[in-house]
Amino acid sequence: MKSLLKTFLRNRKAAIGLSIVLIYVVIAIAAPLIAQYDPLGRVGRPHQAPSADHWLGTTRMGRDVFSQLIYGTRNSLMVGLLAGFIVTAIGTTIGITAAYFGGKVDDVLNFMTNVVLVLPQLPLLLVLAAFLGQVSPLAIALIIGVTSWAWGARVTRAQALSLKTRDYIQASEMIGEPAWRMILVEMLPNLLSIIGFNFIGSVIFTIITQATLEFLGLGSPLTLSWGAMLYNAQNASAIIVGAWWEILAPCGAIVFIGIGLSLMNFGVDEIANPRMRSLGQVAKALKQERRLNRQRMQEAKQ
Amino acid sequence: MQFLLKRLAFYLVAFLVAATFNFVIPRMLPGNPADIMLANANAAMGPAAREALMATFGFVDAPLHEQYFSYLKSIFTWDFGVSVKFFPVPVTDMLMQALPWTLFLTGAALLVSFSVGTLLGILAAWRRGTMIDVIASPTALALQSIPSVVVALCGLYFLGVSNKIFPTSYAYDPKLDPTWSVEFISSVAYHGFLPVLTLSMVLVGGYLVTMRNNMIGQLGEDYISMGEAKGLSDARVRYTYAARNALLPSVTSLALSFGALFGGSLVTEVVFNYPGVGNLLYLGIVGRDFPLIQGQLLIMTLAMLIANFAVDLAYVFLDPRLKRA
Repeated sequence: MKSLLKTFLRNRKAAIGLSIVLIYVVIAIAAPLIAQYDPLGRVGRPHQAPSADHWLGTTRMGRDVFSQLIYGTRNSLMVGLLAGFIVTAIGTTIGITAAYFGGKVDDVLNFMTNVVLVLPQLPLLLVLAAFLGQVSPLAIALIIGVTSWAWGARVTRAQALSLKTRDYIQASEMIGEPAWRMILVEMLPNLLSIIGFNFIGSVIFTIITQATLEFLGLGSPLTLSWGAMLYNAQNASAIIVGAWWEILAPCGAIVFIGIGLSLMNFGVDEIANPRMRSLGQVAKALKQERRLNRQRMQEAKQ
Repeated sequence: MQFLLKRLAFYLVAFLVAATFNFVIPRMLPGNPADIMLANANAAMGPAAREALMATFGFVDAPLHEQYFSYLKSIFTWDFGVSVKFFPVPVTDMLMQALPWTLFLTGAALLVSFSVGTLLGILAAWRRGTMIDVIASPTALALQSIPSVVVALCGLYFLGVSNKIFPTSYAYDPKLDPTWSVEFISSVAYHGFLPVLTLSMVLVGGYLVTMRNNMIGQLGEDYISMGEAKGLSDARVRYTYAARNALLPSVTSLALSFGALFGGSLVTEVVFNYPGVGNLLYLGIVGRDFPLIQGQLLIMTLAMLIANFAVDLAYVFLDPRLKRA
């Protein structure tokens, strides 16, 4: 575990991504210490531009945007992590089960996965959320969790299938290891990178989707979240009256954590497939190669 | 041929799943499902219209499976009920009026983002580690993690409201009549620019990354070195050798991106007040107009499935092995 973490942190993208995400975690935990105002209280005049008193201005209701943003972090992280966990749990279980047992089991599970993949996800979520009424963040996490596992199941299955043909797996099968041991001890550890990739990707997807659902008016307008901030800003015609801070603040928060998480994911991907490495190392290696080639050319001429 | 028939059967099942979902959801909630569906009924709706609407959704005095078949029958006869908010307009009429705008938006965005993304992906892989790769690849990655709501709102603010370069709502100038005149078409293009740009921005990153990764995989193959050894031009090796083969998995992943495409267009239409299915859906959500909300799920599912089928066709065309099989 420790060496795994070390490999992860040695990748520069992963390390930067992780630090961005950690900043959000700290903000979420220390929200009451960082926010100067009650996020739901009327603490200023409506639509004040950012100032020393209100770092990110105020909403039409005279609420402090900065304090709302800080408290909203809690909500988005919790929903993201919870839904990410559900998505990964379902996707991994289905993917590995299908790949390991094969045959009829695989046919059924794979068919299910493919059907869910061709259904339009956002419209599906919208119907669910609309019938449930103005849903709480917890309900949003649940409905995203149970509808979004298909992609993870598909990639996990593909990876597990290729794993199944390896010699060591067939060897352990010969020894007669029970199915649970084959799955949990032999296969799962080798699928960690794809599972991690799936988890982080699902967290990003959830944060984005939660904001979208709430923006469309399906969340509860009283929750403190980035999506609810966007919804309230839209309702207050913030853009038209020029209150850009009310829109750009939650947008920035969503974009920044999205970048942090996807940097982590790029790191995971690069560790798992060294071929995908780009930027620094490859650029350096290619430059070196070109320089060497030029040197050799010159030497050859002489 | 058999491949395509198999796919068609699969899509039929997928559509049935969406329809079943619509059938089951109201019946799973506590309370009377018919009352929930029609809770916000327009005052103009009389008891007869109410009866008819209930029958459309299978709320008939019969066992559950008969209710289900009654609902399926309405759907397959293209009867999605009437809107309770805009009574007595049929849901299918409203959706069919909005659908062309959504298809225009998604089609244009798909064309722009897939061609730009794929081309940049080819170049980024070909010149791996150079400026274009170092700038384009991480930018694509960043774009991928930005929700369409954010791109749309920022586009609306910076290019629509504060700089007034582009219009902020409607699909064309409301003063014009919809005809095939140059004036009308340019108005449509002008009004569509920001929504299409928004949607393309969200999608382009995914196509770029996929194509780049596929290309890198192909560039290591022997037939590439062979092509180079034969003295073919760089462009020929790049496009007709490597890219031609790298495109296959890219087209597969194209089908997976339709969810993001249609989802993104729903949001974009709301932000830009664009008269497509998404905007209609928004009205439905605000008014809790359940027949309308359910109808858009069916329409979006149909659109998704047709788009997927188009990808299957393209796949047969791109991969001749499938034609023989």
